[in-house]
Amino acid sequence: MRKARVFLAGLLGVGLLVLVPLAQGVQAAESGKSAQSIRLEFEEFKLENGLRVILAEDHSAPTYSISVTYDVGSRNERPGRTGFAHLFEHMMFQGSEKVGKGEHFILIFNNGGGMNGTTNVDRTNYYETLPANQLDLGLFLEADRMRSLVINQANLDNQRNAVQEERRLSVDNRAYGKTFEAIFETAYDNFAYKHSTIGSMADLDAATVEDVAEFFRIYYAPNNAVLALVGDFKKKEALAKIEKYFGDIPAQPPPSEPDMTEPEQKGERRKTLEDSFARLARVDIVHKIPPANTPDWYALDVLGEVLASGQSSRLYQKLVKEEQVAVAAAGGVFMLRGPSILLLLALARPGKEIAEIEKLVYEEIERLKNEPIEDWELEKVRMQLRHQRVQQLQSTSFRARLLGEYAVNFDDPGLINTIGEKYLQVSKEDVQRVARKYLKQSNRTVITTVPKPAETAEAKPGE
Amino acid sequence: MKSRKFFLPYLLAAALLVTVCAPGWAQAPGQDSKAVSVSKVERKGLAPVSKEILRVKLPRPVEATLKNGLTVLIMEDHRLPAVSVNLSITGAGPLFEPSDLPGLAVVTAQMLDEGTQTRTSRQIAEEVARLGATLGASSSFGSAASAISASGLSDNFEEWFALFTDVLLHPAFPADELDKLKQRLKASLRQQRSSPDFLVSERFNRAVYGDHPAAVRSATPESVDAFTSEALAQWHRERYAPQNAILSFAGDVSASDLLPKLEKWLGEWERTELEIKLPPNPTPVPAKKVYVVDRPNSVQTSLTMGNIAIDRRDSDYIPMVVMNRVLGQGPAARLFLNLREEKGYTYGVSSSFTALMYPGPWRVGGSLRTEVTEGAMTEFLYELGRIRDEAVPEKELEEAKRAMVANFALSLERPTQLLSYARTIKIYGFPEDYWDTYPAKLMAVTAAEVQRVARTYLNLDTMQVVAVGNAGKIKEIMEAYGPVEVYDTEGNPVAEEAVAATEAAEAGPPAEVAGEWELTLLGPQGSITRLLRLAQDGGTLTGTFAARRGGEAPLTGSVKGNSISFAVTRQTPRGERMVEYSGSVDGGTMKGTMQVGQLSLEWTAKRKE
Repeated sequence: MRKARVFLAGLLGVGLLVLVPLAQGVQAAESGKSAQSIRLEFEEFKLENGLRVILAEDHSAPTYSISVTYDVGSRNERPGRTGFAHLFEHMMFQGSEKVGKGEHFILIFNNGGGMNGTTNVDRTNYYETLPANQLDLGLFLEADRMRSLVINQANLDNQRNAVQEERRLSVDNRAYGKTFEAIFETAYDNFAYKHSTIGSMADLDAATVEDVAEFFRIYYAPNNAVLALVGDFKKKEALAKIEKYFGDIPAQPPPSEPDMTEPEQKGERRKTLEDSFARLARVDIVHKIPPANTPDWYALDVLGEVLASGQSSRLYQKLVKEEQVAVAAAGGVFMLRGPSILLLLALARPGKEIAEIEKLVYEEIERLKNEPIEDWELEKVRMQLRHQRVQQLQSTSFRARLLGEYAVNFDDPGLINTIGEKYLQVSKEDVQRVARKYLKQSNRTVITTVPKPAETAEAKPGE
Repeated sequence: MKSRKFFLPYLLAAALLVTVCAPGWAQAPGQDSKAVSVSKVERKGLAPVSKEILRVKLPRPVEATLKNGLTVLIMEDHRLPAVSVNLSITGAGPLFEPSDLPGLAVVTAQMLDEGTQTRTSRQIAEEVARLGATLGASSSFGSAASAISASGLSDNFEEWFALFTDVLLHPAFPADELDKLKQRLKASLRQQRSSPDFLVSERFNRAVYGDHPAAVRSATPESVDAFTSEALAQWHRERYAPQNAILSFAGDVSASDLLPKLEKWLGEWERTELEIKLPPNPTPVPAKKVYVVDRPNSVQTSLTMGNIAIDRRDSDYIPMVVMNRVLGQGPAARLFLNLREEKGYTYGVSSSFTALMYPGPWRVGGSLRTEVTEGAMTEFLYELGRIRDEAVPEKELEEAKRAMVANFALSLERPTQLLSYARTIKIYGFPEDYWDTYPAKLMAVTAAEVQRVARTYLNLDTMQVVAVGNAGKIKEIMEAYGPVEVYDTEGNPVAEEAVAATEAAEAGPPAEVAGEWELTLLGPQGSITRLLRLAQDGGTLTGTFAARRGGEAPLTGSVKGNSISFAVTRQTPRGERMVEYSGSVDGGTMKGTMQVGQLSLEWTAKRKE
């Protein structure tokens, strides 16, 4: 610790630290409403190379979490080059100038920490949680790979196969594994969300080392990333270390924004999949809705909760309990930065028809259009959201990831505090209005997944 | 986005997130059969690491016993305005279920919130939701306990905790709700048979536990039919006893305020005479056995192997923890570094062991693509052999122990984790300072102790092996590891002939190979070409192979699809000797390898015109 302070003084002394405070904490959105208002104090800075830094000190446990969120997801991919964002996430563990291949895992786990990396349509993130005395380790590991990732043919070949293995596990060897691909493929017209994050094997096979290096240069630049640090550290010390490890990584020209415009859907779309592992038929009903963090999206989120979240939801009570046509019903909105969707799904009870389930779902949708939701339902959603937010804030890792995600997706890390207010602004009338506006048949996609008839007749004579 | 909404995490995770380390680790830097580059893990040792281990003192909860014998643990944590509650009732778990009613304890727990004397199922669901709380009861197969848990905000704690006590004390087990639940259960019994994870655990537990009730992993359609409201009510009346239960709270509550209220709220829950009597302990299975579960269309093989080892109180527990960490717990362990990082066989691979009130198994396993089933078995056996036969190098051992001790700091972020440590002390009767001295005990484990427990428990001659996958492709491979029994996904044994038929169907019709061939053996000193005559009856081969000094040696073999194998019996001065040929057929040519003893040569063959 003493050593670190000396370092800090040295750094400040020669003036290497170029920091621009952007915000001094955030205002309490719900202050005075009740003892329940939870506010996460954080501060924002920007390094000279454009790296956005968010710091939230919390000394209640001797731990800290770091997240680095890059503003790149599968939405940035172009036709013929799908699966790159995710392939990259794997490449980020293959070694950099000062970190050997696979050494990242060993360093984190041998020092008592935990880590992961995830990719979705909108962004890619990497995160670690470590004991507080290993602050340098986490910063060093993230900085070294941002600066000097090793990109060569062997690593690329190796990781292509890795992605295939992951696909086998999560898509090809699992019941309903291909259903989600079909939902996005069918519902969307714009390529950005239409193709799956895991990508096409043919595209991955076609990727060259040059393609990958170019992708790294464009998207894995400090000015395209947000670093969030939450936990047991001192702000000044942490900033000095961040400058030390990240400060000299060169900025790159900003990447171009992908075109996310989605043409209005003009008619219902339907698709049926056969699934050799599924034992029960399943229906997924999707409506396209506006991007997350817009007033209509919040209203649709409330609608989704009322309609399909948990055992008290209308669909669970109707489909599973009253009519007993389904054995499970669930749903809700996706929180996407581009045009989003509301998804409703049900697993059919053996012997029951999907058509019967659909009819009941559409009746419930009509009810939402024709009459306002009940007071207790609105209260329920508000209470549940509040409880969820409190739970989310428990782990430093989740806080770090959420700050990074809100910064990248919505340019607003403060949403972590203000999101509750946005839900409070949703009225019963808003819910009814968005039901009428978006839950139309012409804006609907229905994917039915049916168990594939067994091929035992030819494969297993004698049975 | 992943877990902002608790009802959707599974959906969103499945749809949108692809991770480098999925739950239980992940990211498979793989290689397929054509790319044979092996990628070694490389340690540069340049990262700044603090040499000090951050040792932490774990806070202890307030502890009290209510008049009815209920143990209460309260971990005050006022960082956030939320509370979570867990009630663990030993004696009410599936371990004590009558053998003809598997699932009775589980269904009793599931029915608790489906109606009480004053509230309907729907009212409970709506009230819980309106309060922004969660409430659920669960019971897992193999467990001695059933549990009820709840969480919510602290400002309406008393309201939602009233629902908790209502479902605990006054469940009504309404018949109409039970009928509905039975329908849902039957559907889920059906759906779970498509899951390789379920099929592995079902077969593995049967294999290692034998007659012990922990062998049971699921209700059956017959037991579901047999459940009645009265049977559930009786189980609840007789097995939910306060003197055998621990009620724990974590979060924004005050112990001094809460304890007197608990006496009032739970006063009517009366102490009973029920004593916990465990069934006779399971013992290690004495003979090696391999179980193949045929899951058609599988593109992966899910492997698990192991045998019964120790219970939680065993003095070998701590050396086992260290041994397990070195062998296969987490991405810095040997199994992960070998099978995933170096060989690229799998996305996830690990070892673990179960140690509860009764002895449970050690196990290693993972899901691997079908084509590398054999390679993976080789590596599993190599790693099991290595940890038995060689002392763990000092540096590796130190790192493993250090990792575990340092990880305690992370548990301070999770009061519920601290409570589970406290419950362990209570359940197993450990001394109060058990967790305070635990790091020192871990650090004291020596390489010799690790090797001793590995040799004692990881017995390769008796271990039970389960492989769930495409039997047509893996059964023959698995035969190398012990006598094989094949099951279908319904759990029924499959006859030998049916497996053979599947294998044949999988391989396609046998290639036509009858006739005369010129077979060339490629040796280090040049090649030799001799005449091979084959006769074929479906997949069965007979024939002769010309001998070096004239004459012909008989052969027998088989063709499956384009794969051919045959064995030639040669008379030598020292008696009969088998020479084995295997390879593939491509129209008028064949190629493969020949094996005799330790010697292996490549061969090619051309159909004689």
